Amino acid sequence: MNNEHQLKVEHITAGYDGRTILKDIELAIPVNKISVILGANACGKSTLLKTIARLLKPSSGKITLDGKGIWTFPSKHLARVLGLLPQSPVVPEGIVVADLVSRGRFPYQGLMKGLSREDHAAVAEALEIMGITNLADRRLDELSGGQKQRVWIAMALAQDTDILLLDEPTTYLDITYQVEILDLLTDLNRKKGTTIVMVLHDINLSARYADYIFALREGCLVSEGTPSEVINEELIKEVYGMNCSVISDPVSGSPFVLPKGRHHVLDSCLA
Amino acid sequence: MSVTLILTAAVLSLCTAIMLLGNTVYSPAAVWKVLTGENIKGATFAVRTLRLPRMLSGLLAGFAFGMAGSTFQTMLRNPLASPDIIGVTAGSNAAAIFLLIMMNLSGTAVSLGAVLGGVLTSAFIYLLSRGGKFEGGRLILIGLGVQAMLNAFISYLLLRAPQHDVPAAYRWLSGSLNGVQLSDIPMLAIIIIIFSPITILLGKHLRILELGENSAVTLGVNTDRTRILLILSAVISIAFATATTGPIAFVSFLSGPISSKLVGAGTQNELPAGLVGAVLVLLADLIGQFAFSTKFPVGVITGILGAPYLIFLLIRMNKTGGAS
Repeated sequence: MNNEHQLKVEHITAGYDGRTILKDIELAIPVNKISVILGANACGKSTLLKTIARLLKPSSGKITLDGKGIWTFPSKHLARVLGLLPQSPVVPEGIVVADLVSRGRFPYQGLMKGLSREDHAAVAEALEIMGITNLADRRLDELSGGQKQRVWIAMALAQDTDILLLDEPTTYLDITYQVEILDLLTDLNRKKGTTIVMVLHDINLSARYADYIFALREGCLVSEGTPSEVINEELIKEVYGMNCSVISDPVSGSPFVLPKGRHHVLDSCLA
Repeated sequence: MSVTLILTAAVLSLCTAIMLLGNTVYSPAAVWKVLTGENIKGATFAVRTLRLPRMLSGLLAGFAFGMAGSTFQTMLRNPLASPDIIGVTAGSNAAAIFLLIMMNLSGTAVSLGAVLGGVLTSAFIYLLSRGGKFEGGRLILIGLGVQAMLNAFISYLLLRAPQHDVPAAYRWLSGSLNGVQLSDIPMLAIIIIIFSPITILLGKHLRILELGENSAVTLGVNTDRTRILLILSAVISIAFATATTGPIAFVSFLSGPISSKLVGAGTQNELPAGLVGAVLVLLADLIGQFAFSTKFPVGVITGILGAPYLIFLLIRMNKTGGAS
């Protein structure tokens, strides 16, 4: 648990092709915690994650790691501290699981050398944490969606970074797999103190699994704090433009959002 | 590793075969004597002037075509993305034909022009497809377009050409080891000795680039620098090879897929692809020389081998909607 890397977003404005998506965002990622970025579609969640991961250069402001701008680090050096699981990673044709996961060791490898004993150990550990040791020799294109996602996370784990960013790691997965992935990430956070930042769509799962929430609306940070501090009817209205009731999740005690649409709402619930 | 050894053995056997076989078959001892400087009537001319340049150019150009093709295909994650399909080779050809026909140049000037044509065409395609963010699919489409344009230009040149220049142009376009002279070899050899180690060393980076731009950046690859180094190495090697033997059809295109089948998907295969390229060229040259009553240039034989595979790939892509 010696992970104390401070990651800060300092007055970031960023976008694509001159179109501004993020507007003057200022935040500090809580160390050793699981943070979730929430917001409606196209509010800039993924853009924020990409900017933090150095995939997108901000037009102004900077991201700092331990006080130094991330663009000043040598790329391999940064890759040993900060990892990202992109939203739809590209699968090379015919690749097997162990091979893919071992590519997560790239930041530690020299130009001439192959995988070291340490690299093999890290790959084996990553496979084990994700519970896919038995899939090591299988081809990726033969696996189910849930299994594939575990392989990608295993690759990010093999990279052995103190900070892990994940862009919608549970999208397209059945509820069983969604919960399983979030449980595995929580294990990782508790065991190794990995700082996790992810974009999630499901507000209620976010409220359960996040220690800390950042809520975005149209590229601006509108609220941050623990789920119980942040998630309430006003915020959901502001961020998603939707009426709702917020109750206490009977399973976890975290806030639970019940949407109110135009139909199927009891008279007693109409505000 | 064993695949590399087997391929190396195959390349060496084919090299030996080319040295021994011909109108007259010489014994290994006689060939060795000639190579070490002894003068044997008849044999000296056949071995030193005809067979040695043929063997060396086939070996080196095949290696360059194979390695460069495989680099492009892996980097752009598409088997269609080989330099002979996306316009790089067409750039060399257009420049060479232009110099041959319009400028009445020959020899080294044409070769250098071909190199320059290949490099400039690649830079042009790369810049056009970059547009803010690098995308492989866009590069391939733009390359196909540029290739079509350049081929039209070549046809125009051939139509305008004086009758007596046309055969030389066609010889250039069909790819052959026939006209190669020993003095053409050192330049190509130096280029390959410089650039193929760069490609092999960056093989590991290439495996990461293959995971897509986002993953590659995240894993600490300097993507633009790596891509430019790999493209430069590939383009320069292939342009010099083309300048020596002409474009030998489909060798770049076939070597990568064959070697990746041999070593297994996902394994570094730049060196094996180079060796497969050499095997293809040398073997096709032997077939062209000896299998039929007429002699065919090597490019005709590789063309016959490659065309069905191209059709197969296009049909498969049509079925899968272009994703591969």
